[in-house]
Amino acid sequence: MLSAMWIAIRTTEIVFAWSLSIQTLEYLRMGKATADDALWSWALQRADIPNAFVRAVLDVLFKPRVHQWHLLMRLLAAGGLAVQGASLPVIGFLFLGNLLILIRWRGAFNGGSDFMTLVVLTGLLISQVLAAFGRPELGWQAAFWYIAIQAITSYFMSGSVKLLRREWRNGSAMTIFLNGAIYGPLSHTHLLRKSWLALLGSWGFIVWEILFPFSLLDPRLATLFCAVAALFHFLVFWFFGLNRFFWAWLCAFPAIIWCSAQFSTRFIGV
Amino acid sequence: MSPLKFGHMTEFLFVAYFLVLIGTLIVKTPVIKGPWLFLLRAFFPNWKFFHAVGHVPHLYARAATQQPSGELLWSEWCLIYPRRTRRLGHWLHNPDTNLGLAQQNLVDHFWADLYDLPEGQDPRGLVTYAMVSRLVDQALHEQGLGFSHRQFELRMVLDGRTDTVDTQVMMTSPVVAC
Repeated sequence: MLSAMWIAIRTTEIVFAWSLSIQTLEYLRMGKATADDALWSWALQRADIPNAFVRAVLDVLFKPRVHQWHLLMRLLAAGGLAVQGASLPVIGFLFLGNLLILIRWRGAFNGGSDFMTLVVLTGLLISQVLAAFGRPELGWQAAFWYIAIQAITSYFMSGSVKLLRREWRNGSAMTIFLNGAIYGPLSHTHLLRKSWLALLGSWGFIVWEILFPFSLLDPRLATLFCAVAALFHFLVFWFFGLNRFFWAWLCAFPAIIWCSAQFSTRFIGV
Repeated sequence: MSPLKFGHMTEFLFVAYFLVLIGTLIVKTPVIKGPWLFLLRAFFPNWKFFHAVGHVPHLYARAATQQPSGELLWSEWCLIYPRRTRRLGHWLHNPDTNLGLAQQNLVDHFWADLYDLPEGQDPRGLVTYAMVSRLVDQALHEQGLGFSHRQFELRMVLDGRTDTVDTQVMMTSPVVAC
């Protein structure tokens, strides 16, 4: 029988490789937007770099041809991660490459998805560094706990922040943010314009986010919380266009479910 | 009093961790800033994503053509704000929408840079100013406006459930010949 840890490792690797591939294919389509005469020109952005030596190195790495090669290699590395699993060279390359891409987009391209991509990459890096020192099992435990704590903390804090805001408690924030979304304002007849439904939706998400730490009490509960999270992230994509957000956060779910199983048996004896 | 067992200690630490997190929301701490912290900010979680309703920076621009008399004939101010058409396929591949979202983030960063700028300092030295200027040129060209001059404005807009409640102009650029 396959061990729970092996299943969690392979699921994380495959979903993360998929998420990275989606991101990388999108970056590859953005060559026109990052050209020298375009909005995201490196010639303009290089002034952000405070150190002359680093700026000179980045000037080379961000030449359009070099950057395209980097993205193609990233795609290959993601494929390798899905097929063969994590290794220190592959994860090290992806981690450093991810930092470069973040700098190329002035620190973040897509907010929450960049954060979670970096969290999962850091977790994978922890696992591979400890594996290199002969402690692979400890490495994966540390990786999963790192990813799970970051993800659970994010949900909990996001809910708490909303709870402290009157406009979230009365439901108006949801309608206002949806009206400002990239796919255009809600239609006049849209259901979410009804204040009772916006109120219900707001409170639904606040309560679910704040209760997320309880997912550690039972892996079945964790699976349920993650299923609701997947629906939440899909709705965020549907209304705000944040498709990367969905895939990046999905990568954290195997770690949350695995940690829940470990926490509930080891610490509370369920 | 019996000593805490390992299991109890874990539960105690677990609860304490989340209490400390709540404490960080209530206690105000100084904001640490720096160019590298900005460029590597993805290492730090942004828990205040879509949290507060308030004035939001919006970019407006207008274009002018020069008349034979030398007078500038200006268009109306238009909002430069990304709007895209939703498709289910965007779930897998959505570069254009993501670029639009990055564009709006740029406007937010421009506002933050202006806010932090020392009194009397020229904003034209900012990287975000140069990028927003390009964004304005690009957007005006995309709207098919033939123009010889352009100008942009950063306005802070407060939206209510149905309408805009308040608008304040934060910055108006000089008129630039293109």
